[in-house]
Amino acid sequence: MSDLERLWDDLPVGRAPVDDILRAGRKKGRTPRRRPVRPLFTAGVLTAVGGAFLAGIIVAQPPGSAPEASRPGGVSDASPAAFHGELQPVESCDELLDHYVDQALEIVGPHGWESGYYRTALRDGGFLAFDTPMPLAANQDATRSTSEAAAAPSTSTSVNSDTGTNVQEQGVDEPDVVKTDGDVLVRIQDATLTTYAVTGKETEELSKIQLEGFEGGELLLSGDTVVALGNDGTRSPHRGYGWYADTGPATTRVVSVDISDPGAPQVGDTVDLDTSLVTARQHGSSIRLVTAAGLPELDFVQPTGRRGMRTAREANERVVRATTLADWIPSMSVDGGEPTQLADCQDMAIPRQDIGLDTMNVVGFEADAPADVHAIGLAGNASLAYESPDHLYLAASPFATWGECFDVCPLTGSPAMDNAGTTMVFDFEVTGTEATYVGSGEVEGSVADRWAMDEYDGVLRLALGPTQATGNFNSVVTLERRGDELVEVGRVDKLGVNEQIESVRWFDALAIMVTFRQIDPLYAIDLSDQDDPRLMGQLKIPGFSEYLHPLGERRLIGMGQGPSGDGGAWGAQAGLFDVTDLTSPRRIAVLGYAPGTQARAGADPRQFTWLPKERTLLTVISKGWSGRTGWVSVVSLDHGRLTNRMVEADYGNDVEQIRTVPLPDGRVVLVTGEDVEFFDL
Amino acid sequence: MDDEAEYAEWARDNWGTLVRAAVFLGCTLPEAEDLAQTTLVRCYTAWEKVSNADNREAYVYRMLRNCLRDSKRRRWWAERPTERIPDSASPDRTAHVDTADAVHRAMEGLSRINREVVVLRYFVQLTEQQTADVLDIPTGTVKSRLSRALAQLAADNHLADLTEGSTS
Repeated sequence: MSDLERLWDDLPVGRAPVDDILRAGRKKGRTPRRRPVRPLFTAGVLTAVGGAFLAGIIVAQPPGSAPEASRPGGVSDASPAAFHGELQPVESCDELLDHYVDQALEIVGPHGWESGYYRTALRDGGFLAFDTPMPLAANQDATRSTSEAAAAPSTSTSVNSDTGTNVQEQGVDEPDVVKTDGDVLVRIQDATLTTYAVTGKETEELSKIQLEGFEGGELLLSGDTVVALGNDGTRSPHRGYGWYADTGPATTRVVSVDISDPGAPQVGDTVDLDTSLVTARQHGSSIRLVTAAGLPELDFVQPTGRRGMRTAREANERVVRATTLADWIPSMSVDGGEPTQLADCQDMAIPRQDIGLDTMNVVGFEADAPADVHAIGLAGNASLAYESPDHLYLAASPFATWGECFDVCPLTGSPAMDNAGTTMVFDFEVTGTEATYVGSGEVEGSVADRWAMDEYDGVLRLALGPTQATGNFNSVVTLERRGDELVEVGRVDKLGVNEQIESVRWFDALAIMVTFRQIDPLYAIDLSDQDDPRLMGQLKIPGFSEYLHPLGERRLIGMGQGPSGDGGAWGAQAGLFDVTDLTSPRRIAVLGYAPGTQARAGADPRQFTWLPKERTLLTVISKGWSGRTGWVSVVSLDHGRLTNRMVEADYGNDVEQIRTVPLPDGRVVLVTGEDVEFFDL
Repeated sequence: MDDEAEYAEWARDNWGTLVRAAVFLGCTLPEAEDLAQTTLVRCYTAWEKVSNADNREAYVYRMLRNCLRDSKRRRWWAERPTERIPDSASPDRTAHVDTADAVHRAMEGLSRINREVVVLRYFVQLTEQQTADVLDIPTGTVKSRLSRALAQLAADNHLADLTEGSTS
């Protein structure tokens, strides 16, 4: 007999306190439960266990009323905050504060916060504060085929958004340092907002204004309204894509600027949130921010010679007990006015599982009215955000076990959490500025960043890396919402044994995944039956692709790294793949850059542009970390051959700002640190 | 309640398994006893319907799982043994803590969702279908999680290697 079986038998369980149970049960039978618990059962299970009983008794609803889970769409309430199931509603601000204090007491110690958690919010690409494997590169949902003929697995072309940005999801725009509507181009550099006319023979600067107290910004563009997202300049400046909070209190500053007269932009509302921006997305004129507040900076003491560990711990526990909601829930202030609580208590939820302490908020507003927000939130840490046209998913994920987690690991990776080795995903339906919680699910494995998530036809697809809960391989898993739970309906395992996911690209009925350890297996996974995903084909080649871009139904470009030249040194590499026959994908051409070069699209897909008409791609290649040079690589495709021209574009940190913005008239604007000018194709 | 006697008998018969399951799911022994009691109180109110339902076990363990999740005391595998052993512990009580602790150490390699499958299917000996109902997952997933979890436990020398053949 094994030790566990022996322990099972040896547990001294005592005798059942039957009398106490019956007494308590009788009492309970008479009094309605104070707090109705919504059914956790999915519709299917309700039937199996007797739906009427569950709905009628446990749920404390009148007999015969429909269980919440069976309502159309599973949306249980008109209120955007309709929380249920894994995200529990709060009845009062006191209850919410109690939750924060309870959770905080578990992670406070003699030195203050003891959890190893730090405030850094993961921003978009999964830029972590420590040296991490390459973030997953773009998947971009390409153009969803409109002909719905039982989607056959194939790739489809994808081009920049209407505002000129290479984005993850068609129809869902993302912030960038430059935006255009085809007539006017607007860029932000630190606090400087510049507009250019791009309809003439040359680009022409129209105006240049300073946004007061603004830093680290990026832009969204909706009609004539520019929305600048950054911080208020009280923290160390960071430029470019990987900007995150690293010192000082978290701040997010939202400035709306009217450029209907591009020669004289008018600054509108300035909204400050004391929380970190995780990501921002735009659907039409509606903008949604996802923020993570981190743990508050409290007046903790430290143990000293005279003050022992125990005294210090007790003092810090008192500090935690004395916190108010203002310490936990971010506040919002408009044009420097009085701060107000960003989300009402009843619009906040308490995760049923312990996913680590934090405050996430989802804040929606119209581009021209940033002060008029719809804000909901949850008292937990779920800081990976992915947004499809209809859904926002927030994920609490541990790091992949191969992903090195050095001395500081975020809370979600701690084995003390409920989700050791598993990823918790919260699903919100989005309409306009509102986000409504509809359900959640849990799955073993880790989600590295937003690119590892995709939604199609209501099914969430995840590319999962290994954790202590999984085998030593990657998986693609499909999850469908039943009632308020995301239930696993299909999976493909053993993708890249002992390897790490480098990039994923999703299509309606297909996923292309690249993993890496020494060679670069490219996997094609058939998702045409989402309940039964299948591995169609794979290809192994030297090097790896960090960014995959579909050119059409037959060709795919992979930007990455590979052996270049003879000496064994590696450099950037572009591979052209024939994906006509997905059971046997082939690499038909490869372009090696000089040893030591980097293909920057892997780190920032916004430095990649595909021009379908010209059958040309533009992407930024850099060399060196200090004293860096950045080139625009102009790669033309001609009958399965790649020809390359390198155009030296910028140097140093400005390399991060290089963009190639396509205009509706077919021309391309090259944006560098210094200049905004037409690019000669 | 007409079938109170029946319920009492059922509770008596199943008490041990509920407490053991709770310990295996991460509770200390006193927590597990509390949890089993809370679960049984909650089930009492609904017993009439439950006893008519064709899947009583699944319902009760579903309740146990919910109670556990609701419990503020739950701290999965968090190491705070010093707070759990009272200064004046009787030798007996300390032994209980040690047993629960040994269980937790043996199971700590498993994720929570794998742990649940192992506890329900392997130790409580629910059927595959009942386990699937409790956890709201397809039976296929029960199978795959179970075999992975058992393999892991076997690899850690906590269980004989039973991953082949007889367990499914």
